[in-house]
Amino acid sequence: MAEFSWNTQSPLESALVPGHHGVTGTQVGVTLEEVRDISLVQVMTRRGRAAGTAKAAKKVFGIEPPTSPSAAMGRHATLIWSGPDQFIAVSAQSAEDQFAKLSEAFAGAASLSDQSDGRCLIRIGGPRVRQALAKFCSLDLDDRAFPPGAAATTSIDHTAMNIWRGADSTDGHAIFNMLVLTSFADSLWHTILDSALEYGVQASLAHAA
Amino acid sequence: MRIACPFCGERENGEFTYLGDASPERPNFAVDGRESPDRVEDAFYDYVYLRDNVAGVMREYWYHGGGCRSWLVAERNTVTHEFISVTAAPGAGAASAVRAGE
Ligand SMILES: [Zn+2]
Repeated sequence: MAEFSWNTQSPLESALVPGHHGVTGTQVGVTLEEVRDISLVQVMTRRGRAAGTAKAAKKVFGIEPPTSPSAAMGRHATLIWSGPDQFIAVSAQSAEDQFAKLSEAFAGAASLSDQSDGRCLIRIGGPRVRQALAKFCSLDLDDRAFPPGAAATTSIDHTAMNIWRGADSTDGHAIFNMLVLTSFADSLWHTILDSALEYGVQASLAHAA
Repeated sequence: MRIACPFCGERENGEFTYLGDASPERPNFAVDGRESPDRVEDAFYDYVYLRDNVAGVMREYWYHGGGCRSWLVAERNTVTHEFISVTAAPGAGAASAVRAGE
């Protein structure tokens, strides 16, 4: 009988090469990182139970879930609008499994689905981030149309995507978070990297805190 | 062509799938066997196969599959491609009062 050895690894295990890519020199136009060790829970409100879901969310996450395309940022979790009456709770993976606790808190009000290993979180920023994204993203990512806290459920390069803008970096540049199905992560990573090479890319690996 | 999803906002039409005329209503007969089979068959034939070929404004189903995955009803001018309105189809969203199919 064949022996199998299972191990967990990122979908970007081979695609992500930390360091500088593209135009040489010290210039970094785009920063690109994968955020590992995330916990994702998809929450879908049951019919007529929006108030109960909001109450449960407030209790466990300390914040109201968003009711429009936006991201609500709490101390320990970010709640991303993903469609009418549904959101994704993003947090750092903890030592103990929180899913059972969440299921109990939302019992009767919403249906939950653990997506932690189903999606890959890619974070992109830097002074030329919008030029790089404009090559394959049809959303208007200007400050006026997509300010910090804005979110969208969309298709980027024909790939289903949850994208939201977090707080700006310390040097004032916009940061976009992209949640993509793991099977598309490798392809999307290469699309972003190829589109950003002319601006100079700094690729790295981050761990959710 | 850009379509304003009532949930997501304006998006390129590549994110949407056209599902056809939103006008036909599913025939509703009592299952007591009193209705003539011919009348039932005619009504279902019309519902399943017959569509008006409108040059002008019609109500259509669109599906926002590349976005929030909601069913929408749009009023669109088939001559100019102008969208007059886009609203959530009955049943879209759990907060909606109307169940799908009603
Ligand atoms: Zn939508």
